[in-house]
Amino acid sequence: MDRTLENFISVLRRSGVRVSVSETMDAVRAVALSGYEDRQLMKDFLSVTLAKTNPEKVIFESCFDNFFNVEGLGSRDALSQEQIAAPAIHLSSPLTQMLLSGSGGGLSLAFREAALGAGIKDIQYPHQRGMYMQKLLQIMGLNGLNEDIRNQAAQGNPESAALAKSLESMRDNLMSLARDLIDRQLDLYASKRYEEMLERQLQYTNLSSLEERDLILIQAIVKKMVKRLKDRYSRRPKEARRGQLDLKKTMRRNIVYGGVPFDPKWKTKKIDRPEVVVLCDVSRSVSNVVRFLLLILYSLNEVISKIRSFAFCTNLVEVSSYFEKYAVHEAVSKILAGEGLSIVLRKTDYGRSFTDFKEQYSECLSRRTTIIILGDARSNFGEPNTEILRFISERCKRLIWLNPEAPVRWGTGDSEMKKYLPYCTLARECNALQHLELVVGSLLRR
Amino acid sequence: MSLGKWTGFDSREEVREGLKKAGYIAADHITNTVYLASHLAKPILVEGPAGVGKTELAKATASFMRVPLIRLQCYEGLDESKALYEWKYGKQLLYTQLLKDKIDRIVQGEMDLSESIEKLHQYDDIFFSRRFLEPRPLLKALQQQEGAVLLVDEVDKSDDEFEAFLLEILSDFQVSIPEIGTIEATSVPFVFLTSNNTRELSEALQRRCLHLYISFPDEKLEREIVRTRVPGITEKLNRQLVAFINKVRQLDIKKLPSVSETIDWARALVLLHAENLDREIVRETLNTFLKRQEDMQVAERNLDELTKHAVREAR
Repeated sequence: MDRTLENFISVLRRSGVRVSVSETMDAVRAVALSGYEDRQLMKDFLSVTLAKTNPEKVIFESCFDNFFNVEGLGSRDALSQEQIAAPAIHLSSPLTQMLLSGSGGGLSLAFREAALGAGIKDIQYPHQRGMYMQKLLQIMGLNGLNEDIRNQAAQGNPESAALAKSLESMRDNLMSLARDLIDRQLDLYASKRYEEMLERQLQYTNLSSLEERDLILIQAIVKKMVKRLKDRYSRRPKEARRGQLDLKKTMRRNIVYGGVPFDPKWKTKKIDRPEVVVLCDVSRSVSNVVRFLLLILYSLNEVISKIRSFAFCTNLVEVSSYFEKYAVHEAVSKILAGEGLSIVLRKTDYGRSFTDFKEQYSECLSRRTTIIILGDARSNFGEPNTEILRFISERCKRLIWLNPEAPVRWGTGDSEMKKYLPYCTLARECNALQHLELVVGSLLRR
Repeated sequence: MSLGKWTGFDSREEVREGLKKAGYIAADHITNTVYLASHLAKPILVEGPAGVGKTELAKATASFMRVPLIRLQCYEGLDESKALYEWKYGKQLLYTQLLKDKIDRIVQGEMDLSESIEKLHQYDDIFFSRRFLEPRPLLKALQQQEGAVLLVDEVDKSDDEFEAFLLEILSDFQVSIPEIGTIEATSVPFVFLTSNNTRELSEALQRRCLHLYISFPDEKLEREIVRTRVPGITEKLNRQLVAFINKVRQLDIKKLPSVSETIDWARALVLLHAENLDREIVRETLNTFLKRQEDMQVAERNLDELTKHAVREAR
């Protein structure tokens, strides 16, 4: 198989298109049929053999254009524009001669060879650009070119000064071409790897140290996580098909046949679709993480159909409608600013908030409800009202407390976590995305 | 492997001309794909919105290759006995009845049961031979002497199990029948699979096919299609109508008008002796290409603007 196609397929793979061995073989046969001359034909052929879904087709398009543009660099004649009539006095560097002769093809070849020599395919991160550019230009003979320019400038006559000047502008052109080439290579070979690394990092980073600009990326990760969970738990019917004989149901069902078990019924395993109530602390003590807690709450809205969300600080209000009405950022910032809500954003008062919940919303408690409380339990030394939490805990299926603080800090200072702990079915530290995944997973499992 | 008597088309022009003669005006990437598939002997998986001519492509290919089109319409619950083969139970029963005397004679003289069964075993293959096999579309396609076009329509509507079962046929062009063994294709059929994306197809299936995505044709191509399919239409009306339809496709409606509906509308307009698109005639014939009440309301609200645009475009 020829190298170009091999490289192209590895580029596709790295960008997330699944290409199997058999598809590679098809592609080879297809290219043997089309040849490289007719770009459009080859593109059509490769597109039907390699990209098998619509998203893959989109990736394929951009990869193809990028890849074969790099290859066909010679067609851009940015360098041959400024042709100099006669190369004057001795010019030692081959690169200089090539530039002056204006041979686009030769230059493109030199570029390609230099790119191979510099091992540009191993480029991984954007900050390596400079290094690779240096390497590339070294191999192409930039030093020689620089020397020529210096020599010409040093001669002092107007003719050579003009030559030096035009050589300089050619050098700038050359550099910008090299930069282009490296950028495109980076796009092709590294962007995926870089993104993966960033994602992995973010998964384990503490939520409070995340920054605003990561928010978009985080959202993507949360979406991915949610999708994975959705996939895992939406295979319900299959799950229910297997199982043991349900004796009671079978007997009841087969009474019509005089008790002969014609129509056996099986026990079904059912995955619970929980009803979830979330109480989220939006006070200043958790302000670092609250943005993300809300973000996650928002995403949960998409997986879990029956969910009611409440935000509290000094008192407690329902915010479910915000998540339905607005896009994620809007919803989060509206809630944090308390816009249109009767929320009082002064000292956090867990006791009062729980009382509010009990008095106004206790109707949403049933034996199928799971309650999730997101907060640090720092109640500013107010009355913790533990008996109300007990009241809530007794009337729901589960009460899960996710605390952004590490367990060692629970109960220190004004933290009432230790007092609330006995009424929680589950209390977890939750300050990185990976913690969340565990929690959401356990939420959906029975 | 060759496709029946076809060892791949000679050129892309041959494919284009052939399809055109069969009444199918194909975009370049479609002809390219058909050409490639004929050389690689690979099935083509065609995807795209409803009514862009996925099924039509298979029909046209069959008619221009002059081979029979064998069609398998997929639906939920489709299984082997409907798609591949079935034993002719009736015939088997009838024959055993008719041949009762013969069977009696074979068993005669044997004293006990095990011996007579042993005797019968020597003949049981007779009743499970090809004579008693009722071929269903897939097997039929493999048995065609001259080759065939096999169209597996709306494969996404079938169950996962059936999809898995298709794999053997698509990659090796053979089927396994437990009683007989493996039946290989007499000549390899040209296979089209169509899908409307109601569910994602398995990777294994995608891997075995060439994936062709057909979207709505551009205006120029669509005009050509209308011209071929509705010979009586004037160029002016054709321009107006295609411009109109393309504008409608940009509206926020549930079911986009398909190419086949464009053709229907063109036919209707020709029947009504329309020379020009105007508000009235469009309103009266709206139901030929819009099939939902809500969609029609949306279109009616924008009727003036749409008609003006179409007339302007055609100038």
